[in-house]
Amino acid sequence: MDTLSRRKFLALSGGAGVAAAANILSVTDIAEAAITRPLPSGTPILVVVTLYGGNDGLNTVVPYSDSLYYSLRPDISYAPDKVLPLDSSLGLNPAMGAIKNLWDKKKVAIIRGVGYPNSDHSHFASMAIWQSAERTQTTKSGWLGRWVDSQPEDPLLAINLGSILPPLLVGKKRSGSVLPLGGLITPVGSLARDCSRLSLPAQGENPLAARAATSLRNLLNISESVSPILKALAPAATDLPTVNGGNAGGDNNLSQQLDVVAKLVTAGAPTRVWAVSLGGFDTHANEANAQSELIGIVSNSVARFLNQLEPSGRSKDVTVLIYSEFGRRVAANASAGTDHGTSGPVFVIGDRVQGGFFGEQPSLNNLYKGDLAVTTDFRDIYATLLEDVLKTPAGQILNGWKGRITSLLRKQ
Amino acid sequence: MAKLSSDQERLAISRLFHRYGFGPKPGEFERAIKAGYEVTKESFFAKPTAEQLTSDLAPITIDDLGPRPTPGTFANTEYQIKQRAQIKEMTLWWLDQMVTTDYSLNEKMTWFWHGHWATSIEKLNYALPMYKQNLTFRNNALGNFSTLSKAMYDDGALQYWLDGQENTAKAPNENLSREFMELFTLGVGRYTEEDVKALARVFTGIQVQRTNGVVAFNPRRHDNSAVTFLGTTQVFSEDQAIDLLVARDESSRFIYERLWYRHMSSTEEFPASYRRDAFASRDIHSAVKDLASSPYMYSPQLAMVKSPIEWFVALCRVLNITPSTAKNSSAILGSLQKLSQVPFAPPNVGGWPAGELWLTSASAQFRLTLSQALLKNANLADLKKVALNQRVKYLQDLLGVYQWSKRTSDALTIARNEPERLFLLAINSPEYVVGA
Repeated sequence: MDTLSRRKFLALSGGAGVAAAANILSVTDIAEAAITRPLPSGTPILVVVTLYGGNDGLNTVVPYSDSLYYSLRPDISYAPDKVLPLDSSLGLNPAMGAIKNLWDKKKVAIIRGVGYPNSDHSHFASMAIWQSAERTQTTKSGWLGRWVDSQPEDPLLAINLGSILPPLLVGKKRSGSVLPLGGLITPVGSLARDCSRLSLPAQGENPLAARAATSLRNLLNISESVSPILKALAPAATDLPTVNGGNAGGDNNLSQQLDVVAKLVTAGAPTRVWAVSLGGFDTHANEANAQSELIGIVSNSVARFLNQLEPSGRSKDVTVLIYSEFGRRVAANASAGTDHGTSGPVFVIGDRVQGGFFGEQPSLNNLYKGDLAVTTDFRDIYATLLEDVLKTPAGQILNGWKGRITSLLRKQ
Repeated sequence: MAKLSSDQERLAISRLFHRYGFGPKPGEFERAIKAGYEVTKESFFAKPTAEQLTSDLAPITIDDLGPRPTPGTFANTEYQIKQRAQIKEMTLWWLDQMVTTDYSLNEKMTWFWHGHWATSIEKLNYALPMYKQNLTFRNNALGNFSTLSKAMYDDGALQYWLDGQENTAKAPNENLSREFMELFTLGVGRYTEEDVKALARVFTGIQVQRTNGVVAFNPRRHDNSAVTFLGTTQVFSEDQAIDLLVARDESSRFIYERLWYRHMSSTEEFPASYRRDAFASRDIHSAVKDLASSPYMYSPQLAMVKSPIEWFVALCRVLNITPSTAKNSSAILGSLQKLSQVPFAPPNVGGWPAGELWLTSASAQFRLTLSQALLKNANLADLKKVALNQRVKYLQDLLGVYQWSKRTSDALTIARNEPERLFLLAINSPEYVVGA
């Protein structure tokens, strides 16, 4: 799509309804760029995992030595011998074995008590705050969209998996692109042979028809040269959770999204920010199984993703951020679930990450209207990632935000 | 028109069907070849009556959804679901209409005006105003350009899209004013910045109800002072300003240029020597017919790429597939989205691109995928009845292709005993994707 006219459109619409105005890419577009202008090895890449619906922080990083945890949540708590201990007071949800392995390798930073002042309990309002990194809801651009603005124009710079552009990647001048899933059907077998016959040059052909023939030929070339990397996408349905997660947005096929990202990163796509998502965390009822299943999907998908990147050496370049729009209320509700809360843990994972805990664990003794305190502002994390991963000054993008998380990333 | 060779006749008829309509229905192209170009053109340009157009139109009801419930509530979620369902229903309704219509020219011109006054549902978010706009295009598709321009000024969707409701005496917004001249009536550079400011003041005071597109004039927000617009100083009504714009010679040139760009060539310029008498009274039918009567209809240089919608609708017409009742209508809409062309959602106010932009490897891939989805709905019984050695030629006529190249004819011949494979290749061939 023509990015110049798209910019004009963004200017016209003032950011409203920009979702469909995003560049829609195909795997082929990215694969073509991966061949013609690959990302130089060693260039840092940020992968943002958005958990829609409000992930329950207390059942993700469990305060298993705190008796208040058990008394406030009699039916939806994890016993001390079930959690995966990180230290003497906190342990991971039993479903998060894969992330526990990475923790043991010092590749996981857990920032505790992350949120913002005067938490908004609306999914939409709170997600808008997290994605725009602005407390006021009037801002229509996302923090990584503004990062895209700060970079030379390139439609492949920041890509969302799935067909709708999240506000996260909407800039003031430009935006990230979207890559709809499941589009990779390159001709094979007899169809490939048929297409190759159709794509031969024909005598006296008009230039446009010749161009149509070339596009078919290129499609075959691309599928030949990158198919070893791109072929055999993981099936979509295997990890579809069948749980009571409500619906507050987000896609349901995180592992498939990350599969595609892994393949395109390996192929050398010139993309520095990838956005993926998982929905279903709005666990107002019968929470324990649902949340555990979902956070298990996150854990397994992210670990598998990093693992897939290892042979190419790109795993050294990738940093993964995992966040949700809020945590959940400390006390369980009457339907064995939890209602919308405030702060929660944020995960930053990768070879470049300094493993360990950051920020203070909010105390269960000191709740405000039944909610956890916020001990770390989420913008501290964004600023640190912008500067230490994307190597871009954070001031302009985050409206002069001063807070940082010291030593979140290793010195390179 | 001079006496044409049979090749010239065939080329002109192929262009008539695909560029001035949405492609032939089965058998239509062969009958046209027998009747000849002149006869075919005359019946193609026969004006349907208002009643005929109305009875041709598939029924659809789009309710005004009314005020939006509080964000975050269940009622709001339901409301959003209804919003999306209406948009999907309306999109399929128009696709159905393009496929089934007996008045292909009027439908194609409705599509042309949609791309001209390009307004997107992505900002409106409500189907009803877009539907009303579509009826305006439909009813004026081949009417008078001045009438159409005034109707578009009163169109809620266009006003909202270009921030007409933000344009007040206190704080003028030039968005609509600029595009009205640049993209709708005169063409870029055929007015001054002072004209943009002046017209913006004339256009002040419009308010739009977003859910239903109802437009109201608020005199308190209107700037009623005299302005200097296109060299004339006076207090203008919006009708007077539009009359002035449409009457200009630049307007005639511009509309011809746009008709040329979408019907004759997106790569060759509109010929400067072209006589524009047919548009003297701003009668659209007369201008379009004039273009279709010109020797350019059989000039070999003017190949055109079918846009994804043109390609898709032509296929549905030939395969007798009604998009809304297709087995996989959601997947079909998804493919059109990947091909970057969905009715009611142009990428920007400039409308859809043309030409080479539709010829990327990615679009080649998506066309193949969409073909496969469409063929699942198709009944190829007629093709199967055709003798093997006639099939390639049969498809050339069925699809209204000017001529297969030897390359394509060879590729098709290899596949001729497998009807689905044969059909798939024919509709993805360079000669079908790009019309000679």
